[in-house]
Amino acid sequence: MKHNVLIVVLCVFSMVHSQNCKYTFIGEVVDFHDGTPMSGATVHIETLNRYTTGDINGKFSIKNLCNGKLTLVISHVGCETKRVDIEIIGDTFKTINMEHHLEELEEVSLVNKGSKTTRTAQETVLKEAVLQRYSHLSLGDALKEVPGISSLNTGSTIVKPIINGLHSSRILILNNSVRLQDQEWGVEHAPNIDINSANQVSVIKGSGALAYGGDAIGGVVVVTPGKVIRKDTLYGKTRVGGQTNGRGYTITSTLNKNYKSGWFAQLQGAYKKNGDFEASEHNLTNTGLNSKGITTRFGKNTFKSGFEVYYSFLDNEIGILAATRVGSVFDLQRAINSGQPIVNDPFSYTINAPKQDVKHHLGKLNYFKRFQNFGKVTLQYDYQNNKRLEFDVRIGDRRSIPAIDLTLQTHTVLADVNLDVNLDRKINFGILARYQDNFANPETGVRRLIPDYEKYDVGLYATTEWRINSNFTADAGVRYDFNRIDAKKFYRRSRWEERGYDVDFADIIIDTLPTQFLTNPVFDYHNFSASIGGKLYLNDKSYIIGNYALSSRPPNPSELFSDGLHHSAARFELGDLRFDQEVSNRISASYNYTASKFKVLTEVFYNAIQDYIYLRPFDFISTLRGPFPFWEYQQTNAQLFGIDLNATYTITDNWQWQNKSAFIKGRDVNDDIPLIDIPPFQTTNQIRYTHKTWHRFSASLKSEWVFEQNEFPDFNFELDNQLNGQNTTVDISTPPPAYHLMHFSTEATFPFNEKTNLNVTLGINNLLDTSYRNYLNQLRFFSDELGRNITLQLQFNY
Amino acid sequence: MKTNALNSKLMKTSKFFMIALFSLSLITSCSDDDDNGPAPVLEEELITNVTLTFVNDADPTDIVVLASVAPDGQDGTSTQSITGAFTAGASYSLGLSLTNALENPADDVLNDDVIPAADEHFFVYAVNGINLAVSRDSDDIGGSGDTRLGVNTTWVAGNASTGNVQIILVHEPENADDSNAFGSVTGGSEDLNITFTGVEIE
Repeated sequence: MKHNVLIVVLCVFSMVHSQNCKYTFIGEVVDFHDGTPMSGATVHIETLNRYTTGDINGKFSIKNLCNGKLTLVISHVGCETKRVDIEIIGDTFKTINMEHHLEELEEVSLVNKGSKTTRTAQETVLKEAVLQRYSHLSLGDALKEVPGISSLNTGSTIVKPIINGLHSSRILILNNSVRLQDQEWGVEHAPNIDINSANQVSVIKGSGALAYGGDAIGGVVVVTPGKVIRKDTLYGKTRVGGQTNGRGYTITSTLNKNYKSGWFAQLQGAYKKNGDFEASEHNLTNTGLNSKGITTRFGKNTFKSGFEVYYSFLDNEIGILAATRVGSVFDLQRAINSGQPIVNDPFSYTINAPKQDVKHHLGKLNYFKRFQNFGKVTLQYDYQNNKRLEFDVRIGDRRSIPAIDLTLQTHTVLADVNLDVNLDRKINFGILARYQDNFANPETGVRRLIPDYEKYDVGLYATTEWRINSNFTADAGVRYDFNRIDAKKFYRRSRWEERGYDVDFADIIIDTLPTQFLTNPVFDYHNFSASIGGKLYLNDKSYIIGNYALSSRPPNPSELFSDGLHHSAARFELGDLRFDQEVSNRISASYNYTASKFKVLTEVFYNAIQDYIYLRPFDFISTLRGPFPFWEYQQTNAQLFGIDLNATYTITDNWQWQNKSAFIKGRDVNDDIPLIDIPPFQTTNQIRYTHKTWHRFSASLKSEWVFEQNEFPDFNFELDNQLNGQNTTVDISTPPPAYHLMHFSTEATFPFNEKTNLNVTLGINNLLDTSYRNYLNQLRFFSDELGRNITLQLQFNY
Repeated sequence: MKTNALNSKLMKTSKFFMIALFSLSLITSCSDDDDNGPAPVLEEELITNVTLTFVNDADPTDIVVLASVAPDGQDGTSTQSITGAFTAGASYSLGLSLTNALENPADDVLNDDVIPAADEHFFVYAVNGINLAVSRDSDDIGGSGDTRLGVNTTWVAGNASTGNVQIILVHEPENADDSNAFGSVTGGSEDLNITFTGVEIE
């Protein structure tokens, strides 16, 4: 691949005798960034098929030339090979800029190597080959490939990543460098990303990547679309998949058109549908999914500058298990005791209430320019529109009116400067401004779950990366974020007084209605975050990484304003206007050993979070639906620590064994109880057979063993049946027992010609049709997890 | 030092980019919502008052009223009250009332919402410790499945006793059964579940 090069002609010696073939060309090869000469470049004079090399000053000469065109191909270690056309008019001199350390500059590359975005954070990159196996699933499912990442599920299609025990607002997700703003605080709100639009996904544990945000107490997920190839080409792929469980199918196609000049265009679309899933012993009625996604982008990308226009749209209609319908605590208790879903209808593709319908638009404009002897400047504007409709089972025709109708619009502008003149002392700084508007439609006929609000954010950050020597790299960063939330919220008078807001917040009432107050809470938060880390190569086989990160997260709208019924959990949830931000101090260390046969990566962390916000039961009231538990968000001090392991052993050329394990503990230090929803210990072992010459055949058998979580907070409660005076315990706390699953997968690739091939993948998930429940599934009280699922996927690359 | 054609092209691109950015921010700032503040939600399916009025078929002045009041609706605290006592051996017609008193005049939830969608509802009654027997009247409205909804019922008071009376409104039961007139269901969700304690037959 070649760059269009800016060739600076310093001197042109014009000669009189045009047919005289005795001119000399002198070239000087210099580093683009700082203009220093680069010695030892190999110069292939293509038009004459001669070779020469640059001297210690980067200079080379070619003698006995005629006037005319000369094509040079210049290569240098660590640089991208470059082709230059030179017009010889007499003796000629040219400076040729070479691009050094492409990978470090995140430049385009033909081979998709999977580049990390951080140096000293605990980062894992999932490449396309891995992601395509999850084409019929979701981002959250794919991320579980990384030890230490689990997922918080609501059913099987709403899958939120948990990074080292933390999720939702504590995880920041970037889609093509746009921070996703999609009501991510909700545990039932899946990230609005179509996995089929991703070419690479990178997971960063902890908040090390400060350029992306300072509030990633759990971690950062960076989703990137395909890289831009600079060559005249048209290529694409089409993937068709089917699965037995849910009778689902997925169709996705990507088409790329690229030009040598740097212009590029890409169009990608995906359609996914499934009906009701089934567990091994019952149907999961109303668990269908209907998903449509489209992404398109175009722009120009050269080494020196470029721009990109990007747009993506995702529309997900997601059925929620019918058996989760709960009106009173008695309903919940019956569901828990029966052990079977109350609704067990025959298979159907129909999606009824309760369901979600979420549409997410993301548009982005991005421009960058690289300045010689300076670095790269990037400007970006992005707009997101998230429309969330949630339908409940309501009376009669009202079920077609959503119970939740939220429109969240976000505008962000970003300026980023990357100083890379000195590749050993890189500096990156930038500024971000964001405006967000949330609109809760009152037409629902249901009190707003979260209020109308406007939010303003300004962020400033600076990070630096120092290569001290060839064995040691250090990085550090600081960030400041200002957040203002300006909400308009209705409070019932009774709630206003019960919360004690009449004492503390009397001045924010802007309108008085017969039964409620309209209030205007305006809160400002100043957040500081910082990180420092180092990576040391012990020898050529192993390195260690140490990192400390300070991050702070302001309370999200639900933690501040929640005031209503959480249907499937049969409880009221209450926020608190008095909350401050939570502050995390996280220390992590990694050890990596890579030898020819054995590879191991061990990651440990300790995360102390001050003022950690979480939901806890605190009261019980008598209502028209009988007794009802009240849960409220509370702040406490929490501690989490864990260890993640990933080991691979290559037994022979064909056989490979891999183990991934994760262990984590989380405690509420103030009350000395375990934190809720902490993933239990889990370990997966995989044995894989590959035979490259048999059409790149591979087959693998995976054992997934998830232990029972025996550390959990006891939030069980006594249910007083007033009719007969009996008290019973509603067990909402005890995690389900351990389970062991087997998965099988095999694939092969059949070439048609040099550029086109067909990849066939067959997978069997839950091979033994084991019936089990997952502690981290919010609907675990109501049904088992999915039974056996056979998937077949054909991918045609052209 | 010099600007070549490529550079000027990119300058144009960047200008275009800045203009686009600017105009976009204009568009969006225009579409901003007004400052009048959001409208309050007119809550539907909200029930604040559930009243069971038992009238003695032989003596219209013999009335027992079981009332549950939740000023904030189903999401708020409710209080129960009992007025009067049943007369042993008498037969009573039950008049049911579900209203939303937050609206003026009060919204009749039973007749406006529940009865029009009677096929997806079912009332279940239960008693404990008190000698009350119930029958669903022949003019009762058809409920979920092949049942009588339970809005028109007749109650017969037995021997003097004191106990509890429960009323449950089930929405979309999987299976409703009124072979025992108190009624029973599987599945569905409870829209109401109210127990009155200390109801007396004298």
